[in-house]
Amino acid sequence: MTLFDLLAFMPLVILATGAILCLLAGAVRPGGYLYELAIVVVAASMLWSLALPADGMLPGISVTPYARFCALFLDLAGITGLLLAAGYNRCRGIVGEEYPATLLFALVGMGAACAATDLLILFLGLEAFTFAFYILVAIERGSERGGEAGMKYLLNGTLSAAILAMGIALVYCSRGTLQLAELAAQGRGAGHLYLAGLSLILLGLAFKLSLVPAHLWTADVYQGAPAPVTALLSTASKGASLAALLLLMPLVTGWPGSHAILWWLALLSMLCGNLAALVQSSIKRMLAWSSVAQMGYVGLALTAAPAGGLRAAAFYVVIYAAAGLATFGAVAVLSDQGERDGIDAYRGLGYANPLAGAALAVGLFSLAGIPPAAGLMGKFAVFAAALRGGETALAVVGILTALVSVFYYLRVVVALYMRPAEGECRESHSLAISEVIALAAPTLVTLFLGVYPSPLLDLLARLIS
Amino acid sequence: MIVPLEHILILAALLFFLGLGGLLAWRTNLIMMLVCIEVMLNAVMLVFVGGSTQWGNADGQIFAIFIMALTSSEVSLALAMVVYLHRRKRTVNTDLFSEMKG
Repeated sequence: MTLFDLLAFMPLVILATGAILCLLAGAVRPGGYLYELAIVVVAASMLWSLALPADGMLPGISVTPYARFCALFLDLAGITGLLLAAGYNRCRGIVGEEYPATLLFALVGMGAACAATDLLILFLGLEAFTFAFYILVAIERGSERGGEAGMKYLLNGTLSAAILAMGIALVYCSRGTLQLAELAAQGRGAGHLYLAGLSLILLGLAFKLSLVPAHLWTADVYQGAPAPVTALLSTASKGASLAALLLLMPLVTGWPGSHAILWWLALLSMLCGNLAALVQSSIKRMLAWSSVAQMGYVGLALTAAPAGGLRAAAFYVVIYAAAGLATFGAVAVLSDQGERDGIDAYRGLGYANPLAGAALAVGLFSLAGIPPAAGLMGKFAVFAAALRGGETALAVVGILTALVSVFYYLRVVVALYMRPAEGECRESHSLAISEVIALAAPTLVTLFLGVYPSPLLDLLARLIS
Repeated sequence: MIVPLEHILILAALLFFLGLGGLLAWRTNLIMMLVCIEVMLNAVMLVFVGGSTQWGNADGQIFAIFIMALTSSEVSLALAMVVYLHRRKRTVNTDLFSEMKG
């Protein structure tokens, strides 16, 4: 390890040190300033990787342009999550240093998972950030649902960890190495053990991406968790899991079995997610099922990996993350003391709180794929890759389910701009500056990418060959 | 090595599916679910140690040690949540934790 390697790893070191600093500072003097401290730490880590981009390599982990891009994306999502949480948590009485510190630890885990060159670090990174999310989901101790959601997430997450670890163990048994590069170089061969291991790894990651049939935790956890946590869970956590899956793709592409697995995962996720979202009356559950469906589109892109599907998948997840942060952010901001959960409770809020209403509407437009929001570009990239890769049947299913999805997204938008129910004249509480930034940033990114997506597409084409 | 890798794999597969089956069968008790997941993770560790001996490198054993650290932290968090949920409802029966459905 040289000094240059250390410089390349500084962003991760800054995040980890910052997390410990948050815990210590909170023990000395608790208060709301810890959120600002955490935001400064994340921003410092981000600025470092932008100002001094350096490649470095340690055993099991190496900082590459790809890892730096993922870290940048995750840091931006983390900052948005912290900005949202600052006001929300003060309102709910979630006090203490645990929230910002745990979030910083989650970012460290995600950064490590995206920079892994070895299955051990990949596994540890994935489990580290999932572990942080177990805590964040259950952090609202007064809430009826928080503990239940946390427990459900923990049980499902540990089961998926066991499956993922078993997959890695079988791969290791058949090849004798954990290095991703060596595994990719050795090729697939005919080992049943190796193929079984790969299938289990894919299944374990399907849990993290909440692809059907490993999606059962999603709706309950999204509904029970505090809204800012759900915002991160549906964006940063999914993004990091996909980044890890993209690192594994050289091992599985070309094997017909992996194609079949991804094909079924994508098909079932698109169908189940969109159909179940149709009948939900709670907005968070609806968005949870919609995220299952959106991950189905990502899976569709992954089945067409040789035809540029990986790029399309990454592009889609970035767009989905911006839209997800805008929608869940608006849900967090619009929630009063209780969670504003029923779709009917959003009637007329577009007038009472224009910015939050606009963010929610733009986010939902993007998820539905209506221009000028970016979702259309993402869907276009995914379906184009799928058609190039010869996945016509799956692409047709995708397009049809996307049409169905427009109904349940627009139902919320219609409710937003309907007249409020009589006798209900809500006080529109003014937004704090942090909430304005947290809502405006993802909304503007969504609109910008919808009009001018080529820089991001070019960047991803360079990063993911 | 005296014990062939196949035998270790068979034992590990048995343990893994025992854990998985138990998890599915015992879905009413939180503690038993945690125990079953532990059994599954122990099967994973067995495979790692077996593979490590087969290939003569230490990677698998290191992975097994990390799994131990991971499971101990996960179980401590899970038990904390069990205690918290038990205080709320006086039970560890999962059927009664059904606030959210749909």
